[in-house]
Amino acid sequence: MAQFMLLLHSEPSGFMQLSPDEMQKALEKFMAWRNKPITRDGHRLTDDPGKVMRSTGGQIRTTDGPYSETKEILGGYYTIEAADYDDAVRLALDHPTLEYGGTIEVRQVWGT
Amino acid sequence: MVAHLTRLLGPAHLELAEETVQEAMLRALQTWPYQGVPENAAAWLFRVAHNIAIDAVRRNRTLGQKTDAIVAELFHYASVPPDDPYLEDQLRDDELRMIFMCCHPKIGRDARVALSLKTVGGFGVREIARAFLADDAAIAQRLVRAKRQIREGRLTLDMPRGHELKQRLDSVLEVVYFMFNEGYAAHAGADLIRQDLCLEALRLGRLVAASSIREPRVDALVALMALEAARLPARVDESGDLILLESQDHGRWDQRLIALGFHHFDRSMVGDEISEYHVQAAIAATHARAADSPSRDWPVILELYDQLLALNRSPVVALNRAVAVAKVRGPAEALAAIEPLANDPKLQGYYLLLAVRGHLLLDLGRPAEAAACFRAALECPCSEPERRFLRRKLEVAKGA
Repeated sequence: MAQFMLLLHSEPSGFMQLSPDEMQKALEKFMAWRNKPITRDGHRLTDDPGKVMRSTGGQIRTTDGPYSETKEILGGYYTIEAADYDDAVRLALDHPTLEYGGTIEVRQVWGT
Repeated sequence: MVAHLTRLLGPAHLELAEETVQEAMLRALQTWPYQGVPENAAAWLFRVAHNIAIDAVRRNRTLGQKTDAIVAELFHYASVPPDDPYLEDQLRDDELRMIFMCCHPKIGRDARVALSLKTVGGFGVREIARAFLADDAAIAQRLVRAKRQIREGRLTLDMPRGHELKQRLDSVLEVVYFMFNEGYAAHAGADLIRQDLCLEALRLGRLVAASSIREPRVDALVALMALEAARLPARVDESGDLILLESQDHGRWDQRLIALGFHHFDRSMVGDEISEYHVQAAIAATHARAADSPSRDWPVILELYDQLLALNRSPVVALNRAVAVAKVRGPAEALAAIEPLANDPKLQGYYLLLAVRGHLLLDLGRPAEAAACFRAALECPCSEPERRFLRRKLEVAKGA
């Protein structure tokens, strides 16, 4: 089995529209997905644009991350096991973030 | 949890309590899906909510001199071990006080249900609006008004006593039963929120029944709701179509709810009070006792409906009674019994009256008139499964 990264982009404020009861239901859906046997690992990233470093003319410049202009940020990632891209996409189809307005970027981990 | 924080922060700061719980849930929602659920999830949420509240109280100047005392209380609860048995009792007690406050006479009648659902049930404005077929803005406004009434009326979470307790209890039971009926009236197939309403009403009813308020009518109401809720799974088929009581598969009734219903029904027999809830629970119990449809004891059910009608001259009760009349004395008498209801202003545009009438006319071999009834019923507001049911009946009438 190859490994794939699911990079989850979403608006951190998106859930604010939900009631506690709806949040509870959303939480159950997210947890049910996370507990699938395909999931190897997952991490949340902090709610900030992060930093981008780049070298220009021998000088390293650090700026605010790529998300400073948009409301959507890379909120976290999972590593999952799948046969190929088709399989990985199929497995991610029912990820609840899609239902709540998020997007998923699917990338294969090289050498797996 | 909203109830608990409201007790600590004071009813005037209900909004802050709600926002705090919202924020705590949001943190869980952003973290758990990646990192997994912490060892004791409820305790995590509880602690995080108290810490959020502490920050908010320190920032919020409106609490004035009370700030220090409130922060100390919040700190205390933030450090209570999650398995503290006293805590569970305390939380249950907080919820009970909250429902009683939501049903205070100073709060508008129509706002009581919405407020209870929001503060104790954790329902959102959108869900409440959907459940009551109202629009979001109207419900939001109703809640804002209710919170203002709490502030201006200086309502507290103290339990009323004596005579006042009795009155307030009636208001609480009315709200709980209304909640249940709203959930029950429209069918689960169309919208699942409805079933949530029924279950929340049942939960609140049990909360009151488990409290120190020993009133048999509370148990009667819980019995009634449990026995009726037990039939929910059998009311619609796989395609979401309605199944009438007489064709329901009794095997699909929820046995745990039936057992719960009978437990409370027995408890409701203490004392000599006979409330409407008692009689309705007795009707539900008679239905539940029947092993299958043909063995249902209709004469007993009719007798109970007579009793209920004597307690409450409601046209809806009279309509339900007519169904029992048809079973015991035949469709002609039932038709005569509902004749006066046609002019009742409360039943204008009520599809069920027309549907029952159509059904009786069909049994009497008068299909043309029956078809007219079903056609008129289809003009009334009703849910999609109900509409499909009426269309099927119309086809039968036209083919007869």
